[in-house]
Amino acid sequence: MFVINCPHCNEPREEEEFHYEGEAFIARPAEPETQTDAEWGDYLFMKKNPKGWHWEMWGHSAGCRKLFVVKRNTANHAIDGAWTLTEARAAYDAEMAKI
Amino acid sequence: MSNLTFNPVMQSPLHHFNLKTKQQHVDGSKGVWANEMPLLGYISLRGNAQNALFTKAAKKALGFALPILPCSLISTSWGCIYLLSPDEWLLVCDRELRTELQQKLEAALVGIHSQVIDNSGGFTTVFVQGKNASDVLHHCTVYDLNALTIGKVVGTTFGKTSVFLHQHNNGYKVIFRRSFADYIWRYLERSALPYDFGIANLGSS
Repeated sequence: MFVINCPHCNEPREEEEFHYEGEAFIARPAEPETQTDAEWGDYLFMKKNPKGWHWEMWGHSAGCRKLFVVKRNTANHAIDGAWTLTEARAAYDAEMAKI
Repeated sequence: MSNLTFNPVMQSPLHHFNLKTKQQHVDGSKGVWANEMPLLGYISLRGNAQNALFTKAAKKALGFALPILPCSLISTSWGCIYLLSPDEWLLVCDRELRTELQQKLEAALVGIHSQVIDNSGGFTTVFVQGKNASDVLHHCTVYDLNALTIGKVVGTTFGKTSVFLHQHNNGYKVIFRRSFADYIWRYLERSALPYDFGIANLGSS
């Protein structure tokens, strides 16, 4: 169990109020019709699934019902921060550019 | 066939508990008192809080500025405005007032990206008070009630469902969907057993 700071409610809340919504910033192909089955399959199913820092979406399902981004360490549940989708985008892009 | 006629009657979702017949005058004899505040008007208002046109129009229609701080609420002359989410407000008023309020909002918000929905059939409210009121709610929800200051409304869990909670007159108002009313009332009664539970006569409040 851990506590997440909901950026929309602006206060820490119990994990029980939230719902995990999967990896963050997966771009949906702009033209799904032109995708091969393999490419579409990769989009749907091939997630990063790292051991370590992971950018993921959470939904505050019992509270404000908004989605937001959490950077969480999947190995020890440490949380680096929680941001709205717009706020997190720049930090995510900067981090991905380094890799 | 049958001569039964369809004659719908408005009932609160806790009607089957006959709370009215069981209610008592509130005194110090019980740790927790609760009762339903039945059949209020609930209007859901959605719009962009950053859009000055929207907030101005809403203020004109309601007579009060919409709360925009996270988890905040304001009391108004006709009821209460709760901020449930950055772009969603719940207006609670007497049932008779809701049509007028909705029409005023709709008229003021013409041409502005927004939504006004009468949700009065969808919600109900229970008022919990007494010296052990917060103890009972601590059994029901994961939210730390010490953080629930006056003027704040939070959406949180209640057993396996979710509710909106805020402080009101030395007690708490619990606002929830009518489909879970039976579950929530039984959960509350059960949680209150150790503290002695009474059904309060809320009078006209």
